[in-house]
Amino acid sequence: MANYVVSNLSTSSTESSLAGYGGLCCHRCACGHHGKPGGLQRAHGIPYEHDVLFGCRAVHDTQHVVGGRALASIIASVSFVNTRQMLYAAAFSPYFTSVRKRLTFLFSATVTDESFGVNLAKFQEGSWSAGRATLVNLFCMTTWALANVAGVFVGDALSIPTAIAAFAMTSIFICLLVSQKITPVNCIVVAVAAAGVCLLKTVGLSGPAILLGACLGVCAGMIARKAGVR
Amino acid sequence: MTLTDFAIVYAGCLVTMVGFRCIPIFVLKGRDMPDNLQSALNLIPPAAFAALVANDLYKPGMFDAGLWPALMPLVAALAVIVVASRTKSLVWCAITGVVSYALLMVL
Repeated sequence: MANYVVSNLSTSSTESSLAGYGGLCCHRCACGHHGKPGGLQRAHGIPYEHDVLFGCRAVHDTQHVVGGRALASIIASVSFVNTRQMLYAAAFSPYFTSVRKRLTFLFSATVTDESFGVNLAKFQEGSWSAGRATLVNLFCMTTWALANVAGVFVGDALSIPTAIAAFAMTSIFICLLVSQKITPVNCIVVAVAAAGVCLLKTVGLSGPAILLGACLGVCAGMIARKAGVR
Repeated sequence: MTLTDFAIVYAGCLVTMVGFRCIPIFVLKGRDMPDNLQSALNLIPPAAFAALVANDLYKPGMFDAGLWPALMPLVAALAVIVVASRTKSLVWCAITGVVSYALLMVL
């Protein structure tokens, strides 16, 4: 395993993951800290952040999850938020045609929003491998885990406004969005997806908003292409 | 939350999350996809990034606390767009976003 990591550890993968996990640290410390008043014990910190916070992204979701709701409700809301991962997995599928099953599983199980953006951009450039992409995922997840656990233990000593810390991630998404090819069809996709998310959140469907909004955008793009828009 | 409750939530979330993450890639990888599906997959990146950005920037009732608190992330986002279009650098965009948002909060 160590040899595998070392042989795949390249400057490009560390640079790519730097942007993702650099911004994660402060944000995740804040998230871990926010879990405490909701009833999380320190022993829950590592597994909780790995598999629950991992799908939630924002502190308000943390509070939602640990706010005393019914267990089925918690599982359902976390699952809903994670439905967007289906789109991510579908987008990566063309790049994993000849990749081994174990590595495909490890990669797909560890994708984060941030590593999705970084890895997909790299795959589109054509100079990326499944091994490097998985390392980016693991770097992001590990930093996420450590920052959350640190937040549980030393959160009281931190005073980082979560909105500011979280904006690092938003900025990365904006950069990745701006980096997309500007075509009439893509403009339609972006406009419909963004409008769809806003609309869905307004009517209270925050959980699946990203998935459904993105699906609306893709559908609009397909319709536009059939109508002759390029 | 008791340890048992925690274990139930953990296991339930783990099952659904792994399913959402892994099933699509195993179902689609290595298959000859029809042109329409291939075309749809190519549209996922701009759609997903737009959805993620909109999800971060828009919150229902964001104007309830006043115009300026709601506009701050949007103004900071504009600064990031300028930097992104010039540099295409994730690191510079993250720095620009955090610094500009922090400065706007101080104002």
